Amino acid sequence: MINFKRLAAFLMAAVMVLGLVACGGSSKPETDSTEGGSAEASTELNIFMWQQYISDDLIANFEKENNCTVNLSYMSDNADSITKLTAGGAQEYDLIMTCDAYMKSLVDGGYVEKLDLSKIPASSNMNTAYWPEETREYCMPYLMNYIYVIYDSATCPVEITCYNDLIKPELKGQITTIDGARNLFPIALIALGYDPNSTDEKEIAEAYEWLVKFNDNVVAYGNAEQNLTNGTASVALTYDGNASWAMAEKDTIKIADFKEDAVQLGFDLYVMPKGAAHSDLAYKFLDYICQPEVMAANLEEFPYSCPNDAAVAAASENYQNDPCRDFSYKENVFFQEDVGEALTIYNDYYQKLKVGE
Amino acid sequence: MNKKRKNVLPALAQAGPVSVWMILFVTIPMIYIVYISFMSRGVFGDVVYQFSMESYKTLLDATYFKVITKSLKVAVFTTVLCLLVGYPFAYFIARKPRDVASKLITLIMIPFWTNSLMRLNSWLLVFQTSGPVNNFLQATGIVDHPVTFIYTDGLVVLGMITNMLPFAVLPLYSSIEKLDGSLLEASADLGANPVKTFWHVTLPVTFPGIFSSIILVFIPTLGIYTVSDMLGGGKVLYIGNIIKNQFGAIRNWPLGAALSVLLIAITGILIFIYTRFANIEDMEVV
Repeated sequence: MINFKRLAAFLMAAVMVLGLVACGGSSKPETDSTEGGSAEASTELNIFMWQQYISDDLIANFEKENNCTVNLSYMSDNADSITKLTAGGAQEYDLIMTCDAYMKSLVDGGYVEKLDLSKIPASSNMNTAYWPEETREYCMPYLMNYIYVIYDSATCPVEITCYNDLIKPELKGQITTIDGARNLFPIALIALGYDPNSTDEKEIAEAYEWLVKFNDNVVAYGNAEQNLTNGTASVALTYDGNASWAMAEKDTIKIADFKEDAVQLGFDLYVMPKGAAHSDLAYKFLDYICQPEVMAANLEEFPYSCPNDAAVAAASENYQNDPCRDFSYKENVFFQEDVGEALTIYNDYYQKLKVGE
Repeated sequence: MNKKRKNVLPALAQAGPVSVWMILFVTIPMIYIVYISFMSRGVFGDVVYQFSMESYKTLLDATYFKVITKSLKVAVFTTVLCLLVGYPFAYFIARKPRDVASKLITLIMIPFWTNSLMRLNSWLLVFQTSGPVNNFLQATGIVDHPVTFIYTDGLVVLGMITNMLPFAVLPLYSSIEKLDGSLLEASADLGANPVKTFWHVTLPVTFPGIFSSIILVFIPTLGIYTVSDMLGGGKVLYIGNIIKNQFGAIRNWPLGAALSVLLIAITGILIFIYTRFANIEDMEVV
């Protein structure tokens, strides 16, 4: 009797522990097939990327063509993908989206796999101007974003031709903007005439003072294009694809005609974490999204700027004639660069900005 | 000896699963949080396992003091409002016949069948510039221009209260419902007016329920960040936002952990005060 009870207790404990192990393990893909030369093809591809950033049709077609399942998981911040990559993301993902600003550190830190570009023949469609040479072998560009200032010409009380117009008191409670220290500070630094990737604490402190005034005019961070189209704000700082959506919804929305100030341009790229389990499918996927017609169809749904020239040429007239694509001062751009240790200074001031008085 | 042993196994089988669960998902994570709060931050924002008091030194910065006082203020304000709204509400329900009361309690629970983010988003839709409330106000000529309701402190408070009210009402209901009617009659018989009766009888007797409400509303409100993020437009950061940012965008896990330890300490102090005031067995939760 005692033995039976002991057995029962043991079994119960064993079941619980096994259940917990199973819970923990189920989110991870089986690392079955493919160690480079393995003949057996993968049937599962795990991608970590931004939400609302790739067409469902594209994914469905890829799955059908390759008889596989694509599992998309979503990031909520660029830092998420860094966390995944530095914490050994290969166990979970085959492709991870990151942005140009982090590429150098990721390569230097040895967190990303070197890509065999011969397995991605369609990558020849990529405009190399948007695919920096020093990290070219480690990433595949997906889409790119300009950060535009757009405004509703029917309600905006001032004319906006430079970033300094954004701190005019008339705009109090009128601005809606994307968030993040490394999106906001460069704007302030440019307005003040400094390097947008400054690492000088004095300049960053001045930028903070500028942003305090800017913050007074902000009604909301995030949901910028919705806040502009539903009339909550009259000015928005947002990515070009979101600007396209807003302008398609309301025809009084225009892009601010900047005279001199540079505009931020960022790239979203796919990288393969070191030792990704399903690299064969990952290569197929990267080649697939570089196909002009595939990407052109994707651009209909996600009208962001695209570094794939052949895809842009194959895209609809609607996409090509979109004012968000035809940006006359497009050449006047700046990129987010790795600011190293200065990132802490940015984050401290950003926190101070949001904590307020 | 043998008899004693016999009792151990069934007890283990009963308490074992819960203990394993608590150890795995409460104790170990807590210990881990305390542990990494004493570690250092790497170049990539990873945790470097090297002892450091850096995070706790950072906490002494005036910014964090400001955030904490601000978060405490919001939590106190929300708790007081929840009690002011919740007490009469609970009293009203508790004085109804049992079947009606249980229906009313169900009505309070129904909104909780929907995800809280959905509920918060729906407030935005209802109150946005081109939303139904503004359309109604304009159509009836009450206002000429749309009123900005969203991304204001008022809406944040509304969101907080609607999110937290049930946690105030349920323990209050359970203690008011147990209130012995004969005590009130005795009080009236002895010449006390209703106000006096309420003040000297009802309130003290239902005090454990009030304290449970305070704990149940105050602690989550202190750490919540979604309400101010969504309804406040992300303009103001509270302690919850700051902690979330340390683990997310800013990537300073040791500091995030140190802030969490601080939050746990504040919560611990509150519960300690609670146990001084009221018997822990009195903690009334439905």
